[in-house]
Amino acid sequence: MTRGLTVMMLTWEFPPRIIGGISPHVYYLSKSLAKNGVNVYVVTCDFPGAPQHENVDGVEVFRIDSYKNPSPDFATWVYLMNVNMQKEAAALVNSLGGKVDVFHAHDWLAANAGIGLKHVFRKPLLATIHSTEIGRRNGIHFDYERMIHETEAWLTYEAWKVICCSNYMISHVQWAFGLPVDKVVMVPNGVNTEVYEKLEKNKLSQFRSKFALPEEKIVLFVGRLVYEKGAHILVNAISEVLEKVNAKFIIVGNGYMKEQLSSLVKNIGLAHKVLFTGFVDDETLKRLQKCADVSVVPSLFEPFGIVALEAMAAESPVVVSDAGGLSEIVEHDVTGVKVYVNNPDSLAWGITKVLLDEDYANRIKVNARKKVQEKYDWNKIAHQTKAIYETVLNEYSKSFWA
Amino acid sequence: MRVIIFSWEYPPRIVGQLANYVRELAVQLVKSNVETYVVTYHDFLTGQYDEPEGVKTCRVKNPVRTHIGVLTWVLTLNQEVERAAANIYYNTNKHVDLIDVHDWHFIPAAVTLKKALKIPFIYSVESLEEHRSHNANSPFNMAIKSIEWLGMYEAEKLIVKSEWMRDEVFRLYKVPLEKVKVISPKSANWMKNVLETYKMSQGD
Repeated sequence: MTRGLTVMMLTWEFPPRIIGGISPHVYYLSKSLAKNGVNVYVVTCDFPGAPQHENVDGVEVFRIDSYKNPSPDFATWVYLMNVNMQKEAAALVNSLGGKVDVFHAHDWLAANAGIGLKHVFRKPLLATIHSTEIGRRNGIHFDYERMIHETEAWLTYEAWKVICCSNYMISHVQWAFGLPVDKVVMVPNGVNTEVYEKLEKNKLSQFRSKFALPEEKIVLFVGRLVYEKGAHILVNAISEVLEKVNAKFIIVGNGYMKEQLSSLVKNIGLAHKVLFTGFVDDETLKRLQKCADVSVVPSLFEPFGIVALEAMAAESPVVVSDAGGLSEIVEHDVTGVKVYVNNPDSLAWGITKVLLDEDYANRIKVNARKKVQEKYDWNKIAHQTKAIYETVLNEYSKSFWA
Repeated sequence: MRVIIFSWEYPPRIVGQLANYVRELAVQLVKSNVETYVVTYHDFLTGQYDEPEGVKTCRVKNPVRTHIGVLTWVLTLNQEVERAAANIYYNTNKHVDLIDVHDWHFIPAAVTLKKALKIPFIYSVESLEEHRSHNANSPFNMAIKSIEWLGMYEAEKLIVKSEWMRDEVFRLYKVPLEKVKVISPKSANWMKNVLETYKMSQGD
């Protein structure tokens, strides 16, 4: 190929719009691909204050008007947003003289746009499945959920290849959508270790004092406060931990369970030991991760578990539930502690072990950081992703669409 | 001239008045030497391609079977309409002069095809959400209205069937009157006027 490969990413979130893990994923992936000579165009939803078009670290980012249409519910909003995303992306492809080689959609949230663009331009579509409805809801119970599930199935059907971030997700999507083995590819999620190195150590103790007393250990939870992330498991483990060690529990994130969780904490009389920060900015989050004496990821369903990797990169010892992608990231007693899923006693045991045994905590966090640098490096991940694009384009070149 | 008609109902699937009107339109277009394709929905004649009375008809079904309402149903069906239309485009050496889209359902597909493949479209208005659900302004109705608006904004021309509808389109969506053609299906000059409007709106 004389000109560099060109990919158009379709994603409903991209910084500064951050809702979940897709946003940082697409950001780092795009940036690393661009560094490796791939032309990357990102088409994403708008965000107050963010420009409609900008170049972010070599990545061309286009933000579309995503709240143009009134919508009765979230799923309908997604489909309507896709109408605008597809319209804008189509015009963009045209302005590039049609020179886009691959469309890459992230989750069902960009399914319609990705599928439509594939057919009108006759270019291959790749899909990364970050999570599934059947996993998030622990089954399909209502028509609303089934509709999303079938939209996910449709996206995987239309995709040339389906990328997942863990072996667990590979087998999960194969089961959920009946995909053939040769259609799914595993590329791990990555984490940027440098950002944690840049934090100034001397300023951290002052920062820490805003969140906890000097004699309190910090137990950190980072995640959306929704059922599958298991913050309620942590809340139920708090009193058991406090029996053995003095600690402050910091719960970062928002979600529909927030009210419920904070009233539960008040009712058991532990409001002074638990801090709900809500959503925090990136800088605060990184410092918190750096300060945490233990980072807890008690998910019931976890496709990958990026927060565990971030904690490992920040050299905060991790205690994770033995679920989904977390099981693959963490090696018990070597790079972290694994506890039983949906089990507050087991979680309390894990937290206490790390907080009371300093040598143990030091050992696992050093191992963890080494592991993260080896395996979850974005540059490496960009190489793997680029190789998938090339394989797909090679197959495509032999098809009647080429 | 090569035209693709989009309609969510077409015989044998008849929901309201639109199906038979679109069929008559397509048949007359064929008789006037227009190469006429119809892309429509059918749940079990899926993928069937036939040419009743010379009208090249393709039927698509919804890739997502479960829905919470007509709006989501329509929005996932549009990509299949795009696929069918794109297939026609690529199989005819990238030469489609015009798309004629009837009512709001397949407006998103028409807009994408315009932006992507530069195929202009006409929006033929049979009815409007304001009249179907009078005074209803829930997000559901507003979403449909926003799609109608998009169609009116992006279309080359609107074809309406009465002067009353022209005035309504102007009242509700502020469409410039010169963009709206009143063509009554009952008038003697119906086909002549349709063909003239098509010729005015087709791409280069």
